[in-house]
Amino acid sequence: MTNKQKNMTPQQQNYQQLQQKHEIKRPILKNCIKAFFVGGLICVVGQAISYFYIYFFNFTEQSVGNPTVATMVFLSMLLTGFGIYDRIGQFAGAGSAVPVTGFGNAVISACIEHRTEGLVLGVGGNMFKLAGSVILFGVFSAFVVALVKTLLVIWGVL
Amino acid sequence: MHIIFRLIVLACFVILSSCNQHQQVKDSQLALIKTTNPKPVITDKKNRRDGVTEIKKDVSSLPELYDVAVVQGKRDTLVVYKVKHLHRFQMKKIEKNINKMLEEKYPKENFTVSSDYKIFLEAIRLDERMKSSKFSHRDAENRLKEIVKMTEEMK
Repeated sequence: MTNKQKNMTPQQQNYQQLQQKHEIKRPILKNCIKAFFVGGLICVVGQAISYFYIYFFNFTEQSVGNPTVATMVFLSMLLTGFGIYDRIGQFAGAGSAVPVTGFGNAVISACIEHRTEGLVLGVGGNMFKLAGSVILFGVFSAFVVALVKTLLVIWGVL
Repeated sequence: MHIIFRLIVLACFVILSSCNQHQQVKDSQLALIKTTNPKPVITDKKNRRDGVTEIKKDVSSLPELYDVAVVQGKRDTLVVYKVKHLHRFQMKKIEKNINKMLEEKYPKENFTVSSDYKIFLEAIRLDERMKSSKFSHRDAENRLKEIVKMTEEMK
């Protein structure tokens, strides 16, 4: 018995058992398959955009990442504004949140939510409420990886 | 609403499929997504050096690669290849091995080796332009120099 269950009254425990009996089980496998296909589809779009930049512009395979990411984030921001990305998110879950498009969605959904509080304190102040942690840990992990690589290069391992 | 949507999809399908009628698809149009395996290109046919076909054969024989293009110019020889997906983690190692192999076998040649899709695409485009009569050998040589410069800038 866990501590939480010990502190419960018999009534609460009965209620919890009843609730567990009627709880609809989450279709984990189905959700995973949906996330896999929608996430994969987003990646296919990203790949197509990067090929577009390589084919029609002067970007190489190394430099094409930046404009591709910018385009994907911009597209997901537009789709969030039109209310389409929310539906994709409801359908695909992590499949739409994990790719870089989820970042654009996190920025714009926070903006829309706080629009009524004004442009400066509402939109400006809360824009990175959700996406701020992504930037912080992204920058920090990049710093750590760069530090490790620099040390390995100095020590002659790489 | 659904009928309109279906009609739009059908119209798009018909228009896009009709765009493809009686049009020759160039290799460069599909070079990024399929194997083209072009013949070796020589920009300077007057000072032609032997071994371009051998260079291509040697590089193609590596099991990690699936598409190789070779362009031989006056001074430089450009070797571009595509790496199979499961081997893409060892790109640097593969490049090093190819460089080593080529320098040992053909010590007189000045090689520029790349696995970049853009460089591969430009090599195919150069081949196609050379086949058209408007593109002179001097233009081809200049374009090759630009491609080599672009490759070296990436390193």
